[in-house]
Amino acid sequence: MKKRLIVTPQICIGCRSCEIACSFVHAESMSRPAMSRVRVYPFSADSFVPVLCLQCEEAACAKVCPTEALVRNKETGAIDFVEDRCVQCKTCVAACPFGNIHFDATANTIIKCDECQGDPACARFCPTGALVWAETPPAITGKEKQAQPQPAQAIAMMAGRK
Amino acid sequence: MHITIDGKVVTVHEGMTILEAARSVGIEIPTLCHLGGVEPYAGCRVCMVEIRRSDWTPDYSKLVTSCNYEVENALIVDTCSQKVLESRRDVLALLLARSPRATAIQELAAQYGILASPYLEREEGDNCILCGLCIRVCEAIGASAIGTTGRGVEKLVEMPYGDPEACIGCMACAETCPTDAIKYELDDNSLTIWGRTFERTHCKVCNAPMLTPEHIAHFAKKSELTEDYFDTCDACRKRQTAEAFIKVIG
Amino acid sequence: MSITKLSELKARRAGAVASSESLKRRVMICAGTGCVANGSLEVYDALVAAAQKAGLPVKIELITHDKDSDVPNATYVGKSGCHGFCEMGPLLHIMPDDILYCKVKPKHADDIIATTVEKGEIIDKLLYKDPVSKKRKTGSKDIPFYAGQTRIALKNCGHIDPESLDAYLGADGFAALEKALSSMAPKEVIEEVIASGIRGRGGAGFPAGRKWKTCASIESTERFVICNGDEGDPGAFMDRSIMEGDPFGVIEGLMLAGFAVGAKQGYIYVRHEYPLAVERLQKAIEALRKEGLLGNKILGSDFSFDVAINRGGGAFVCGESTALMRSLEGKIGEPRAKYIRSVVKGLNDKPTVLNNVETLICIPEIIASGGAAFAATGTPKSSGTKAFSLVGKVKNTGLVEVPMGTTLQEIIYDIGGGIIKDKPFKAVQTGGPSGGCLPASKLDLPVDFDTLTEAGSMMGSGGMIVMDDHTCMVDVARYFIDFLVGESCGKCVPCREGLKQLSWILTRICEGKGKMEDLDLIERLLNLLEGSSLCALGKSAANPVRSTLQYFRDEYIAHIEEKRCPGGVCRELVTFTITDACTGCGICKRNCPVEAISGEKKSMHVIDQDICTRCGACYGVCPFDAITVK
Repeated sequence: MKKRLIVTPQICIGCRSCEIACSFVHAESMSRPAMSRVRVYPFSADSFVPVLCLQCEEAACAKVCPTEALVRNKETGAIDFVEDRCVQCKTCVAACPFGNIHFDATANTIIKCDECQGDPACARFCPTGALVWAETPPAITGKEKQAQPQPAQAIAMMAGRK
Repeated sequence: MHITIDGKVVTVHEGMTILEAARSVGIEIPTLCHLGGVEPYAGCRVCMVEIRRSDWTPDYSKLVTSCNYEVENALIVDTCSQKVLESRRDVLALLLARSPRATAIQELAAQYGILASPYLEREEGDNCILCGLCIRVCEAIGASAIGTTGRGVEKLVEMPYGDPEACIGCMACAETCPTDAIKYELDDNSLTIWGRTFERTHCKVCNAPMLTPEHIAHFAKKSELTEDYFDTCDACRKRQTAEAFIKVIG
Repeated sequence: MSITKLSELKARRAGAVASSESLKRRVMICAGTGCVANGSLEVYDALVAAAQKAGLPVKIELITHDKDSDVPNATYVGKSGCHGFCEMGPLLHIMPDDILYCKVKPKHADDIIATTVEKGEIIDKLLYKDPVSKKRKTGSKDIPFYAGQTRIALKNCGHIDPESLDAYLGADGFAALEKALSSMAPKEVIEEVIASGIRGRGGAGFPAGRKWKTCASIESTERFVICNGDEGDPGAFMDRSIMEGDPFGVIEGLMLAGFAVGAKQGYIYVRHEYPLAVERLQKAIEALRKEGLLGNKILGSDFSFDVAINRGGGAFVCGESTALMRSLEGKIGEPRAKYIRSVVKGLNDKPTVLNNVETLICIPEIIASGGAAFAATGTPKSSGTKAFSLVGKVKNTGLVEVPMGTTLQEIIYDIGGGIIKDKPFKAVQTGGPSGGCLPASKLDLPVDFDTLTEAGSMMGSGGMIVMDDHTCMVDVARYFIDFLVGESCGKCVPCREGLKQLSWILTRICEGKGKMEDLDLIERLLNLLEGSSLCALGKSAANPVRSTLQYFRDEYIAHIEEKRCPGGVCRELVTFTITDACTGCGICKRNCPVEAISGEKKSMHVIDQDICTRCGACYGVCPFDAITVK
């Protein structure tokens, strides 16, 4: 079964190891946490939410891309960014409803979570397991899985649009 | 299927180009007019490689453009033979003579040992090397706002009949130009490119400059997304996503 | 529509033949572009008027299916396509006597009617005068220009009215289509073309039969056949003459190609600068549609076919097959790599066969008489004949057709009559901007697809420019490179930038500012053009320079090291001087555009070197060869 990045904000302690790990793994010459694909948002002294690309079922970024530089990887299920096909129109950056795709002006390219080719650094370094790389929990299978709204849809519903 | 590139055996599939096959094993072939997202043009001739086939006489070989030559079984490719280097050097020397101030050409030519071109410099040479990327990119975007006029050395990239109406101000042409030949002026409130000035849209939360209204209208229509998808910047959207999460989990 | 069945076609043809045979005389006036420019249409009008005035039964059209309009024992005064002997135009050919009258003017009309048409006698002064024997020659068997030719592609040019379907039928027109549709399978048509060995006459020389066979083998719901009438080589007019003189033949060839590969739509791409060819082809298409020979279920068979004409936009590069197809699609005429073959993915990405006009005009003959007969002429590797436009400093300029394997010597001297004023032969340029120059030592070479290429030139589409000693070979190379600079599409760097650099270097050399290092730069550019250009325009652009460097390197050296132009052409390097052979006739003085020549009548004239612009006009007009150039 496919593995996914599972986020449990309730146990996030806001240490930001994920941000440092992500930017380090993707850095060309140096680590720049500002360009990490995952960002942790604090809401109180003990309440934190890590946000990263949801590899949406109906990805707005892939929909707007004019050159198919954002495509679903059939094996991993993720939306892959193919740099050689990008024309830097930055429409995807504006279109993502969750703000999870960015333009890195220094590297002069689009950046988004790529699940680190199957071994995400954020999950490896997360001390509490707020970010894990695992198969969908067995509890959520079959009918229950169907009943669970997909993350993107859930947030879309919450955010008040279709 | 297998081919050999620089002595390395590479597994390939039908429809792959030599360039794709080389990149799949980390062999770098320089290109100027190539971009994966648009049709190959094979105009700059920088990516040429030398090929042999087992059914040819051993001393016969051909130079072909790797960006659009599809692999064949048992093809033998040499990406930096004497013939390849001579061709590449002269192509770069000619481009350097055409656009002596284009730093990308200067750097690429220097990699091949050419610091000054032996050919006559074009006096008012701008940086455009007529690689056609901007035009193909604009077509892929769907605006088709620019094209070529004239032919030969007189060829120019221009708006057809000088009409800038079709341009949406996405700047993909300027971003993908290998020699930064497309001039534009950009500030927080406006973009001027191809002789036309566009307003810029701003994030409705933090007022950061984003795109142009024409850019948004074009992509909203093309992808059937509503225009409000494009009204907030990525940083603010990401924060909004975190806020939505926190509401759910309390 | 009156030709919808085989029986109707046969009947119509029988009528045409009978009508033609019942004529007492046929007087054919050349109405090719060259003779028309020289006033041949006025000659035609004068002849018709003179014949009618003389009370002769005259026919000006061959209407064969209307018995009421039949005129017994008539004299047919008609317009035909190019006779080929362009130097001697306006031309008039009288059959069955086989009398050729040259340089005919309207004022000769009455005499021609009275003497030749009515009495069958020859008017000597209108005959061709052989410059060597000084004797008058009557017709195609005695005139060396014609005697040396074998006209297959040009067989109808000069003999029939190109605007008359009946005239074409009377000359065995559509006999091949009839045979194919009634008794041959498309595969068998392809086999005959393969057996003929015919290679593409546009210049590349690819075996046509093989091209058709590959196209037919590709699975597709749609395919196309195209006739390439873009003929861009300067000095070439073979295709123009064929399109103007035998348009039905071109269409029949295209139809046979369509039948063979399974295409329903054919295109004829004609260069913009050939309005008469477009007009004649269009009239032919309309006539055929009207009779049902183009359209659905032709001659009662399952074969449906139509033809459309596309005019070019003034680009030599659109003669290149892939650029032509882009142009037909409405896109910019830029070639694409040959790795993607047009027979697999051509026009609109469908399998497409593209052939030159001259290739297609030979097809009806191949089908009607069989491929083996065609293969029996010419040489084993280059079967059949080839049309050449013989131009330049040769006495008999015009359109000639000879079997492959005929030597340059025979074409230029036996048929062409040698160099004007019997000056020394310097070089012959063959193959247009893709070809090269060959010196006198190569005159014994047979002309075919391969031999000239081995010698450094190429046969190409058939342009043959003869040059005398007043020619600068560096200037010739520069001329062709400048032509290509203007015609390069600009897509690939070697051709676009490389040709411009070559042009600058050659111009410097011609102006006496060249350096020996320039020869190394030229060599580099030639190698780059040959090895790295995208299409044949760039690849073959090296030939004019390479061949002149190979055979006339001393001229390049003279320009560079001695600042001297051995051919006496390059303006910055030459001086014109009047010698004491001058008789003071004053012709040079009258022709000098800058009034640089002074002198009294009957006394020696002199050129003021400070005013003289080295244009060479005086040199060209002096009747006493009293002007030298160094």
